[in-house]
Amino acid sequence: MDRGLYVAMTGAKQIMQAQAVNNHNIANASTVGFRADSVSFVSSPIYGPGYATRVNAVAGDGGTDLSSGVITSTSRPLDIAVNGKGFIAVQGANGKEGYTRAGDLRVLESGAVVTATGLPVMSETGPLNIPPSTQVTIGSDGTVSIVPQGLSPAAQSQIDRIKLVNPQPKDLQKGADGLLYLKSGGKAAADETVSVTSGQLESSNVNAAQSLVNMIELQRLYEFQIKSINSADTDEQSAERMMLTA
Amino acid sequence: MNLALWAAKTGLDAQNTQMAVIANNLANSNTTGFKADRAAFQDLMYQNVQQVGAQSTQNTQYSTGLSLGTGVKIAATEKNYSQGSVLQTGGNLDMSVTGHGLFQITMPDGTLAYTRDGSFSLDSQGNVVNATGFPISPAITIPISAQSVTIGSDGTVSVTTAGAPKPTTVGQIQLANFINVEGLQPVGNNLVVESAASGAPQVGTPGTNGLGTLQQGSLETSNVNTVTELVNMITCQRAYEMNSKAISTTDQMLQYLTTNLQ
Repeated sequence: MDRGLYVAMTGAKQIMQAQAVNNHNIANASTVGFRADSVSFVSSPIYGPGYATRVNAVAGDGGTDLSSGVITSTSRPLDIAVNGKGFIAVQGANGKEGYTRAGDLRVLESGAVVTATGLPVMSETGPLNIPPSTQVTIGSDGTVSIVPQGLSPAAQSQIDRIKLVNPQPKDLQKGADGLLYLKSGGKAAADETVSVTSGQLESSNVNAAQSLVNMIELQRLYEFQIKSINSADTDEQSAERMMLTA
Repeated sequence: MNLALWAAKTGLDAQNTQMAVIANNLANSNTTGFKADRAAFQDLMYQNVQQVGAQSTQNTQYSTGLSLGTGVKIAATEKNYSQGSVLQTGGNLDMSVTGHGLFQITMPDGTLAYTRDGSFSLDSQGNVVNATGFPISPAITIPISAQSVTIGSDGTVSVTTAGAPKPTTVGQIQLANFINVEGLQPVGNNLVVESAASGAPQVGTPGTNGLGTLQQGSLETSNVNTVTELVNMITCQRAYEMNSKAISTTDQMLQYLTTNLQ
């Protein structure tokens, strides 16, 4: 059996996976703070007896595109967008500290500040909690100040500070829940230089045009692979016919 | 099943919901006291196809991993409780709240509901009721002999009657505020009810404890910004088209596979 067939089959399979990643990006074109994923292909020679003539393509994580999305104004005081580099620290469902750019926050009845997806926002000391208040303001350095319930707006009091971090992109990796985690598994240190703007949200950084071109490219590459499978099959058939007539 | 197809399908679903939210906002752009909704998107779980750093043999590790995202979902819709603009109507029992706080309405089953819609009127017994006919809480009855009704900024309702030189106070409007006002559950008819997320109401006199003040003769209009909604609609439509294109492309790939290999 011609093993070239398997090389083409592996290629087709990996391209379909890359298409899935691309479709996932497109599906998240409207997700606040979403960072696009990419796929890189790595050639993986098949070693065995003799010369390694066959090289499989293996799709791998091409990393996450950490460029900024478009900032949209919402004028909601609990919406924050990170200016430039940096992330908001939240507690993932697994209890670990993860990082996100999605700053559509809300205050629960318990006083816990959570993201739209319900993950607790971290302060520098632990999950951020605010006492009952009539107004919440988030400053550019993440400082949360409130007007305590039952007091006049003049009685502003500073409560805590949202943990803002700026780890090196190479140290970050997307977890299964879509949050970014440190590869080392630890916690990033708070960074004073990261700033946020209240009343704004950062949109997804998925580039529509690029994703569509990527989609077409992957489609054609897929067809090449199928064509190769087809050719391998035709070759095999011709060889069979020659054997029969000979 | 093919993940590429399903990831794109979740995108169509989410954009469809987003469109429903936008359409509802636009439909309510003239509803008194309406607060605009917003859909919050969330990316779905990632499937770990190959764990980076996993052992490929006893002595070697995979240098690359692969996680495939499975699409998107609408995690929540949240109401934007920013102040709508105030429209002067001149109606005696029309009120708007400037600042925080909601009017309390007694529902037919005796529970309380809350609203920013301050268009009240009288029923046949002289009770102050909302547009649906549900009485305001605490209940206020305007006597039949009343010639004019005055509502102070602190919610004091007083009437003047023929022959009496001084106005008489007939009731006090109170406002309710919540820790998480966005967590209130909308139930239609411009009403919201308390939920586990909103917390318990803190009731008080308008103008105290951070509650807003009342303005008689005016109504708070919807806070829907039609321009924002129209721009959102365009974005939503294009995103929908992209997802639909992703499905047809993946379909073509599979079609190519089945027609060419047989």
